[in-house]
Amino acid sequence: MRTLLKQLAVASATAVMLATSAVAADEPTKGGTLVFSLAQQPRHLNPAVQSGTATGAPGAQLFAAPLRYDEDWTPQPYLAESWEIAEDGLSVTLNLVKNAVFHDGQPITSEDVAFSVKTIQENHPFKTMFAPVTEVQTPDAHTAILKLSKPHPALMLAMSSQLMPIIPKHVYGDGQDPKAHPQNSDDVVGSGPFKLVEFKRDEHIILERFDDFFMEGRPYLDKMVMRIIKDPSARAIGLENGEIHLSTFEVVARDIKRLQKVDSLTATPDGYAAIGPLDWLAFNTASGNTADVNVRKAIAYAIDRDFILNAIHLGIADEASTGIHPGSPLYSGDVETYALDLDKANQLLDDAGYEKGDDGMRFKLSVDFGWPEMKPKAEYTKAALKKIGIDVTVRSSPDFPSWAKRISNYDFDMTWDTVFNWGDPVIGVHRTYQSSNIIPGVIWSNTQSYKNDRVDELMEMAGVETDEAKRAELYAEFQKIVTDELPLYTTNTLPYHTIYNNKVGNPPIGIWASSSPMDLVYIKE
Amino acid sequence: MSNFSKPTDSSTSQAGSQTIERARHPAADALGMFVKNRAAAVALFVLVLIVVAGIVGPIVYETDPYDMVWAPFSPPGQEGFLFGTDYLGRDILAGILHGTRVSLLVGLSAALMTVFIGVTVGALAGFFRGWVEELLMRITEFFQVLPTLLFSMVIVALFGPTLTVITIAIGAVSWPAVARITRAEFLRIRELEYVTASRASGTRNAKLMFSVILPNALPPIIVQAALMVGSAILFEAGLSFLGLTDPNIVSWGQIIGSNRPYILDASYTVTFPGVAIFVTVLCLSLVGDGLNDALNPKLRQR
Repeated sequence: MRTLLKQLAVASATAVMLATSAVAADEPTKGGTLVFSLAQQPRHLNPAVQSGTATGAPGAQLFAAPLRYDEDWTPQPYLAESWEIAEDGLSVTLNLVKNAVFHDGQPITSEDVAFSVKTIQENHPFKTMFAPVTEVQTPDAHTAILKLSKPHPALMLAMSSQLMPIIPKHVYGDGQDPKAHPQNSDDVVGSGPFKLVEFKRDEHIILERFDDFFMEGRPYLDKMVMRIIKDPSARAIGLENGEIHLSTFEVVARDIKRLQKVDSLTATPDGYAAIGPLDWLAFNTASGNTADVNVRKAIAYAIDRDFILNAIHLGIADEASTGIHPGSPLYSGDVETYALDLDKANQLLDDAGYEKGDDGMRFKLSVDFGWPEMKPKAEYTKAALKKIGIDVTVRSSPDFPSWAKRISNYDFDMTWDTVFNWGDPVIGVHRTYQSSNIIPGVIWSNTQSYKNDRVDELMEMAGVETDEAKRAELYAEFQKIVTDELPLYTTNTLPYHTIYNNKVGNPPIGIWASSSPMDLVYIKE
Repeated sequence: MSNFSKPTDSSTSQAGSQTIERARHPAADALGMFVKNRAAAVALFVLVLIVVAGIVGPIVYETDPYDMVWAPFSPPGQEGFLFGTDYLGRDILAGILHGTRVSLLVGLSAALMTVFIGVTVGALAGFFRGWVEELLMRITEFFQVLPTLLFSMVIVALFGPTLTVITIAIGAVSWPAVARITRAEFLRIRELEYVTASRASGTRNAKLMFSVILPNALPPIIVQAALMVGSAILFEAGLSFLGLTDPNIVSWGQIIGSNRPYILDASYTVTFPGVAIFVTVLCLSLVGDGLNDALNPKLRQR
């Protein structure tokens, strides 16, 4: 009886809470300042010429894009109030909103769209994103037609704030190198819901409501302070004591576990579907012992994915075994998963002729890691591979650029890495496997030096295939080959979490996390 | 002094009065002074224990500090792991025992390097004076005004965090103090009569410097060196805390550095290596004090 009463009480309380929260969602509070923590220092604030979510978070507030996406991957109107894709898939027409202006008051026109696409094509590291776009026609000020050389299903997802910010031609088209343009960091003239007040390196980015934003009544917030705090523990403490309202891309399992228990906070893994972050151990397939596929397979069999999931990530990460994120509709689980099997690993190495020496070791390898959060995995690799007679040296790099330089110049045996899918495989997956993308000095290209003609061909076909089912089939074969030849061994999805104070309404938990416009975010009374 | 020291005092003075004709060996004198400072004596004893633990520990306690032996974050005392396990389930006790060698070695080699550079620079400057002194002291001052931690971080970042580089980085930023002390001692001693006498008897400069003046300048340098070992261990821990550490070699600082992210949840993972550093550095400092008492002739007359 007592339990029943209790249940009733809980049920009614929940109903009341739901009712009030529904009201609150309908009538967001206007005004207020959101304190948001950035874990990385953005190089600058212009996502048109800089990839990465550190630039994406402020970039998506400063610049608007043609489209925005809801939680179900459905495109929503943003700068484009409507759009049509031609039947043959060879052109996309964008009808821009009429009242949109840049932060300096100039109207946003189709000329700016054409200029933005050209700038991104020429300067953004994701070359495949707009590669098929041959020209952008501008029949009138509010119509832009993207002409394509072949169907390009990845294009629509790329029209989001993270990847296709609309930048003013009259500012960035002044002849200076867009990558080094002074107004990428100071006096940014954007098109988005917030305008820049101050960008102080290693301290903060302060954004202020743009009063002439084209969406009526938005943004809700008056001000957004993005504090750059690199230390995860410091961010955790800030969230806990209410100094920070919102933090995205949190990854330290113990901090997340602890913050989940704090009453005033919510921690959620939602919001990273399009980012598609994967952790993997990449191999140098061009030189050293890792050039031998049997060595790579033996290493995969000796690394216990369950240990990584349960001990290092404390059960908050998901298993992943191919280069495509398991959350993607194109993921195929029909591949070799390399479950822990030390006998098989030893057998593979014995058969390949790597004899154990007197000290029980066969040969030496080194393992790198790009940032401190990856160090436990590198140290784990050392301990795990000792069991099959591989003497592993953990190499630490003083900072991210030194690591990136080593890896992109093929000065490594193995490295732990996190790579993002960026929505469509054409944008984030192909770059890792294409033999044409082995470019010295470029991190997150095909640094494994992997070459397979069939894989190249499959990616080529899947990139232009507009039939979803056929596309999935092509990617299934692709995933089977690359997990068999193993240029990299994928272990898990990176358990990115968004942690926010319960005072925050409409936190950014769509598919693009904080790389989406936060014009709907508000602070509850 | 408490009543314990009284009988000792009287016995030494008795012994002193009996052998009044024969001068006591200065080393015995020094040892007496050292033992009189009981904190230093205890510290020396503990330090010997630590050194023994560093040498014998890894042999007796065989667990490899890199092996994952149990579930991660087992609290101390459970499952037979006295100090618990870290984020990969590695035995922290094994880490501390293996780390003893490395931490002491870094401390000693950095101190040796400091003394070598410091004494060479200080001796040349103090002995030759003139433009040599001007030049060397300006260089010393240059190093002195550099923020030591930042400068060593730059060296480690440039050349990569290996143990050798870390040791050299610590040595490279710590020598100015020794150089200044040595120079001051040389300046004082070179004017003394026995040095003038040696010089008059035709002793070569090198011999004057290293056989006549240096032995007499040594006491404060030895004291400084003992303190240097402690500060080098601390320095290594500081660099490790900032992540500038060789992940393939266990040292106390490295254990603290790698477990730092978990400090709020599993504080024991950093507490035990922290205590090890604290005790060692404290002991070295106390021993340094004791050496100061023992080697300072002015104190002896008190």
